[in-house]
Amino acid sequence: MDLDQLLEISNQCIHSEPPVCVASCPVHMDVIAFVSEVEKGNFSGAYKIMESKIPLSRLIGKICERPCEKTCVRSHAGGSIRIGELEKSVITFGYSAPKKPLLLPKNKGNIAIIGGGLSGCVAAIELDKKGYKVTIFEKSNRLGGRLWEYVSNGLEACDIEEELGMIEQKGIEVHYGIEVLEKTLPAYFERYDAIYLGTRTWSKSYVVDPHSFQSENPALFIGGYLQNPNAMTIESASSGKRAAVSIDRYITKASMTASREREGVFETKLHCTTDRVASVESVPLSASTYREDEAAAEASRCLKCQCDACIKACVHMQRFNITPDRYIRSICHNERIVLGNRTANTMINSCTECGLCKAVCPVGIGMADIIHATRESMVKRNKMPLSAHDFALKDMAFSQSDYFSLVRKQPSKEASKDLFYYPMIAFSAYARGLYKGSGKTGYLFYPGCQLSSTHTDYIGSIYKHLVGVIKEKDAMNDVGLFLGCCGAPADWAGRGDLMHDNVEKIRQTWEEEGRPTFILACSSCASTFAKYLPMIQTVSLWEIFDTYGLPEVDIKKGKRELCIHDACATRHDGKIHESIRNIVKTLGYSVQELEYSKEKTKCCGYGGLVACANPEQAEDFAADRIRESDPDVLVYCAMCKDMLVKGNKRAYHILDVIYANETDQSSPQKMPTLSDRQNNRKRLKRQLLKEIWNEEEEGSMDPTYDFTLHISDEITALMEKRFILLGDVEKVVANSLSRQERFFNPKSSDYLARLRIQNVTYWVRYEEAGRDITVKDAYMHRMEVVEG
Amino acid sequence: MNDQIDKTTEWVCDKCRQALVPQKVKVRYLDGNFEVDLLKCPTCHMVFISDELAMGKMLEVEKGLEDK
Ligand code: SF4
Ligand code: SF4
Ligand code: SF4
Ligand SMILES: [Zn+2]
Repeated sequence: MDLDQLLEISNQCIHSEPPVCVASCPVHMDVIAFVSEVEKGNFSGAYKIMESKIPLSRLIGKICERPCEKTCVRSHAGGSIRIGELEKSVITFGYSAPKKPLLLPKNKGNIAIIGGGLSGCVAAIELDKKGYKVTIFEKSNRLGGRLWEYVSNGLEACDIEEELGMIEQKGIEVHYGIEVLEKTLPAYFERYDAIYLGTRTWSKSYVVDPHSFQSENPALFIGGYLQNPNAMTIESASSGKRAAVSIDRYITKASMTASREREGVFETKLHCTTDRVASVESVPLSASTYREDEAAAEASRCLKCQCDACIKACVHMQRFNITPDRYIRSICHNERIVLGNRTANTMINSCTECGLCKAVCPVGIGMADIIHATRESMVKRNKMPLSAHDFALKDMAFSQSDYFSLVRKQPSKEASKDLFYYPMIAFSAYARGLYKGSGKTGYLFYPGCQLSSTHTDYIGSIYKHLVGVIKEKDAMNDVGLFLGCCGAPADWAGRGDLMHDNVEKIRQTWEEEGRPTFILACSSCASTFAKYLPMIQTVSLWEIFDTYGLPEVDIKKGKRELCIHDACATRHDGKIHESIRNIVKTLGYSVQELEYSKEKTKCCGYGGLVACANPEQAEDFAADRIRESDPDVLVYCAMCKDMLVKGNKRAYHILDVIYANETDQSSPQKMPTLSDRQNNRKRLKRQLLKEIWNEEEEGSMDPTYDFTLHISDEITALMEKRFILLGDVEKVVANSLSRQERFFNPKSSDYLARLRIQNVTYWVRYEEAGRDITVKDAYMHRMEVVEG
Repeated sequence: MNDQIDKTTEWVCDKCRQALVPQKVKVRYLDGNFEVDLLKCPTCHMVFISDELAMGKMLEVEKGLEDK
C-alpha cells in the first residue's frame, strides 16, 4: 500500500475544514466553539475563546465590522447568526480582568513599533508575548489611534484607557510625542532588529508584501492604515498580528511563507447549504445588548457548520468515533507498526465496505477501497487476525466442496422424454422448455451460496421457471445450473490468493460451458463478478423476472406497504433497483422509499464479514436500518434478510413475496442457524440432482452416529454466537464416546469432552442417557494445549 | 493466565478414574509459547479447560497475540 498516497486522500477530507464564518473572519475566531459556550450560558468560557483569537478583544469585539455575518450559512434560513451582538453580550457578561502578566525575560530581540495606533498596539502586544523587547514610538500623547473614533459610538473612553494601559504594564516601553521620519529611520535600524511601521502617513512609499507585510527593506514591516487605507478595524488588527508573526520568523530566520496560506480571510472548502434546514428568525434585541438568555437563544440558531455526511450515515464511523481523515491516519499508523499492538485491527475489520461514505461525501472520499487494500496488505504481511474471518472462510470452503458445488447443463430432451405427455406438456412451461432443449448452454443460473443456504426451497422452482420462460422466447439457449460461492467472503477477508483461485475456477467453468450468461440472484455475487470476472456477461434474476415474467402465483390485490432495503452491493446498479420496484408493484404492494435508498442505501451489517469479525458492530448496522424503516422491509439479498430478522424486524426476501410465502404475520420469523445453512446447501444439491437430473448420490458423504443429540434453544443460540457448528459438537461427542476421552463430574454426572478440529479445540459438556446426549455447554479456544 | 486457573475441581478423568492435578502445561498460539499451570489427568495427561477460562482469559490472550 502506498501510505503517502493514502495520507494525501486524508488531507482532502473536509471534516476539519472551518465554517465559512471562521474563514471570513480575518483573525479566525472559533465561532462554533464560541456560540456553543454561549448556548450553554458559559459566558466567561466564551470570552476566553474570543480572547484567544481577537486582539484587544474587549474593544474590538464591540466594534468589529462582522464580515463573518455576511457569509453565514444561516443567512438563507432566517438570517445570519448575529455573531457581533453575541460578542458584545459576552464581553458584558463574561469579561474578567486578565491576571497580572508574568514579566518574562524579553531576550529574543529588540523591536521598534513606529505609530501606536490600533495595528501598532496589536503588533506590540503580540511581539511582547513572543518574548521580544518592544518599544513604541507614538507621535501624539496617547495610544490607540482610530479606536478613539468609537468613543460614544460603541466604546467607552474608560475601557479604551484601561485596555491600552495594560500595554505599559506588560513592560512595553512607550515614548510619546516622538515623530519618526524617513530620514531618521536609519538610526532606528541601528538600534533595533526589526521595525514595524503602523503610522497613518509616511513620506516614502514602500512596496509591501500583502501576506507577510514585509517591505523591500527586509527588516521593515508595514501594516494598518498605511498598508491598506480601506481596512476594517478587524483587518487592521489582523495586519498587526500577522506582521508580528513575520517579524518573529524574520528574526528566527524561519521561512516567511511556509504554512501561512490560510492567514487572514481565505476560502474554505466547506460548502454547507440550508436545503434541509428549517428557517428560524434571529432573536431581536430587547435592549442595546442581548440579555444572557437572548444570547443563548441566538447562539442556538448556529448550524455548527461542519462536514459530517459520512459519520452521520455510517454507524461504523460512529462506533469508532472517527472520520475518514483520522481513520486513514490510524490505518497508516497500524501499517507502520513493527513492534507493538496493532490497535486499529478491529476497526479495520468492522467496516462493511458498503461504499455509502463515498456516495454521500461531497469530495468523494470512500473508505471501502482503502479498507479492502488494507486488509489485503494485512493478509500479505501475515498480520490479519486469524479469528476475524476464519469461520466465514471455512464456510466458503464448504460451499466450494462437493457438498454443494455443482455444474449441470439443462436436462437433455432425450433424458426428459418422460415429461412430454399430455397434459404435462400443455400446462408445464418447464416441460416445454426441456422439449426445446438445444444442448447449447446460453444461460447458467447461479443462485449463490447464501440464498441457497437460507432460501433453499425456492431454488428448484426458480430453475424450472427460468427454463420455461427463457426457452419460450429464446429456443436456441438452454439454461444450466451452477451451485457454488462467488468468493465474496475471501474478497472481504482480503484473501487475494483464495479469490484468485476461485475466480479462475468460475472462469474455467464458463469457458467449458461455452461462455453462457450468468443469471445472478445475489447482490454480492453481482459485485464480485463485476469486479473479478468482467468478461462474463451477467444479468440479475430480478431483471429476468421483470422482463420474462414472474412465476404464476396468487397475486393478492390491495396488499400492504413495504419499504425497500436495497442491497449495498447493488448501490450503483439502477437496473436492479428498478426491476425490484417493478416486481413489488406488480405484486400489488405500495413502496415506501427510505431516506437512504438506491445509490445511498445502507448496509445491513453483513458486508465486509463484519458479522463475523465484530458481531456487535454488525448489530449496530441492522439496528440503524431498522430504526429507519417503519413498515415491514423488503430485501433482495439473503444476508440482508438474515440480519434484519435477527434484529427483530419483519423482513421479506423478494422471493417470499413472489412465491406468496409471507409467513403468518403473528408468528415470529426465524432464520436458519449456521449449521442449518450448511445442511441446507447439502440438501439442495441432493434434491436438485434427484428431482431435475434424476441422479442419486452414491453413498452419503456424511458420517452417521449412533447417538441422538438434544440441544435446547438456549444452547443453540450460544453456539451461534460462538460460531460452533452442530457437526463440530457431534464430532466431539462421537470421539469422546468411542475413545472414552472425556472428563466426568461425579456430582452432576455430566461429561466434558474436547476435540481439536483443524485449528480450533471444541469442548462439549453433556449428559448421557443411553443414546440420548443432551448438550449443556459448548465452547472453544484456538490456542493449542500440548497434552502429554 | 495463571490467576484464573482452578487448583481443584470436581471433574475426574473418565477413562483413568483419576482426580485431576495441577501441572505445567505448554500452550501455543501463533508466535506465542507459554507454560501455564492447568489441571490434567496424571495418567493419560488429558488437560482440563473450563468455559470461563476458554472464553475468558484464553480468548483475551489469543486476541492479544493476533494484534501483535
Ligand atoms: S465579529 Fe469580527 S472578530 Fe468576531 S468572528 Fe466576526 S469577523 Fe471575527
Ligand atoms: S451557521 Fe454558524 S457555523 Fe454556520 S456559518 Fe453561520 S455562524 Fe458559522
Ligand atoms: S461501513 Fe460503509 S459507510 Fe462506513 S466507512 Fe465502511 S464503507 Fe464507508
Ligand atoms: Zn486419564
